[in-house]
Amino acid sequence: MQVTDENKNRVASLVMALLCLLLQVGVAPNLGLGEGRMNFALVYAACYALSIGGRRGVLAGFFAGLVYDLCTTGPVGLMAMLLTIMAYVLGIEERNRFADGLPQCLVTFGLGCLAVEVAYHFAMLMVGQASSLTDVLVIRALPSFALTFVVFLPFGYFFARDARGGARTRRVRRPRGGGHYSTKGL
Amino acid sequence: MAKMPSLGTPHPNGANGGFKRSESNGRAGLVTVLLVVLSLVMFTVSSHESGSGVFTSMRYGFQTITTPLRMVGAGISAPFVGLGNVYRNLTADEATLTDLEQQNRELQAKNVELEESSQTAQRLQQLLNLQDTYNLQSVAANVIGGSTDSWTRTITLDKGTSGGVDVGMPVFDAYGAVGQVIQVASDSCTVRLLSDENSSVSAMIQSTRAQGMVEGSADGTLHLNLIRTDQEVNVGDVVVTSGLGGVFPKGLPMGKVTSVNKTPGALYYDIVVEPYSTADSYEEVWVVTSLTSDQQASADDIAEADAQQSSGETSTSSDSSSTDGSGSSDSSSSQGSGSSSSTSSSTNSGSSTSTGGSSSASGSDNSSSTSAAG
Repeated sequence: MQVTDENKNRVASLVMALLCLLLQVGVAPNLGLGEGRMNFALVYAACYALSIGGRRGVLAGFFAGLVYDLCTTGPVGLMAMLLTIMAYVLGIEERNRFADGLPQCLVTFGLGCLAVEVAYHFAMLMVGQASSLTDVLVIRALPSFALTFVVFLPFGYFFARDARGGARTRRVRRPRGGGHYSTKGL
Repeated sequence: MAKMPSLGTPHPNGANGGFKRSESNGRAGLVTVLLVVLSLVMFTVSSHESGSGVFTSMRYGFQTITTPLRMVGAGISAPFVGLGNVYRNLTADEATLTDLEQQNRELQAKNVELEESSQTAQRLQQLLNLQDTYNLQSVAANVIGGSTDSWTRTITLDKGTSGGVDVGMPVFDAYGAVGQVIQVASDSCTVRLLSDENSSVSAMIQSTRAQGMVEGSADGTLHLNLIRTDQEVNVGDVVVTSGLGGVFPKGLPMGKVTSVNKTPGALYYDIVVEPYSTADSYEEVWVVTSLTSDQQASADDIAEADAQQSSGETSTSSDSSSTDGSGSSDSSSSQGSGSSSSTSSSTNSGSSTSTGGSSSASGSDNSSSTSAAG
């Protein structure tokens, strides 16, 4: 029988949301690489989608993107749409993908992050916020991707470690001195 | 080691896990489609907003709420920004440092120049304000030199006859009266300062209208003479030109009283005046070329000066009679509006010092040796 602590999960989700909001609003504007900036909304949406996925992941992606749009001066809804799609794709399996290990998650996240950043900045180019494709890709999209990937590393590490720790506690421990128990059904 | 709590528990795989997964995927997909459509609508609407609208208001409210977080974040990231600066400074090459040093030197010089310009502008503005206040017909001049000997206190200006300057014209700056032109050439002139030993200008206490003469001295201090001891004068009183004699415009500030002494038995106070305009401020000045009628002493002013002189004569004559005709008449010869003492010493030819008024009030402004240099 598996007992889940929904309240604890909600609190954890809220804490992470507030942390990412603080980092997005307070830290991201002050630290950058070229014209690139960190995207903590993307990090939050990816973590939620990779660890839970499904409908909740999609909702988390939408609202995270909406917050990101409200932080910027560009049109509202673009990042919300992109993170919604990314969260759906990353969370389509509706399982904790951090249990697959950190490297696998990093690859998954990297692809999703790159796609979102390129799509976002390309869309800004299409609506006239930028004038050069080179400027968009080289000076904005790629630096943003690099920075966001870097700040995802600690989050990914902790989620992956937590997922491995959870998996270990679900295994039945073989007592010392002999005997065995069936692991069927676990 | 601290354990990061998970955000939630994924759906367990059971016997019907595959069916449940496809059903939930369907729901997630539907939600995704709805949210994407909503996002596109929001994107379209917000793109057409300009200055006001729902999303503008949302953004305004969001910024208001998150301002404290921004301030906290700025404080948190400040060390990292500083580290970036340190890194850039450490890795700056020699050429960059040399360029920066050169720029610094140039900017410092520019700063000094701009500061000087700012102060000049301020002085000129004050000068203009004074000119406007007194409605003076004047020409501007720069001070280009000082006294060449230790016996006189003069300044040299860069305007002469070619600029409309003539002997006897009064000179003032942003703070008040400076002196009078005593020599003039084609492109320069010499101005005797108020503090010169031979300078003597009709003046009065602004508040009480007590008439006297501001005279320079050997040590450069100004004295307001011929103020009788029965007249009221206090430390801090403002001394202005009286306009008697028609040289200096009436009401031009000269200085303020810094000490009032009375010797027992004396007829006049010993008053020291601190000039408003000092040698430190002599940079740009105005030379008054002509006076309007309202800038000269009026008939009432002259009458008042005469009245003061008369009352002074009366008191001294009564004093002298009470003292058995002692030799106090000398003092009476230097009484009243103070003009007579300068009358005896001034009004040489070529000086434009006497322009009407009674003889006791005429020729009052300034002193000997006012000659026009060739």
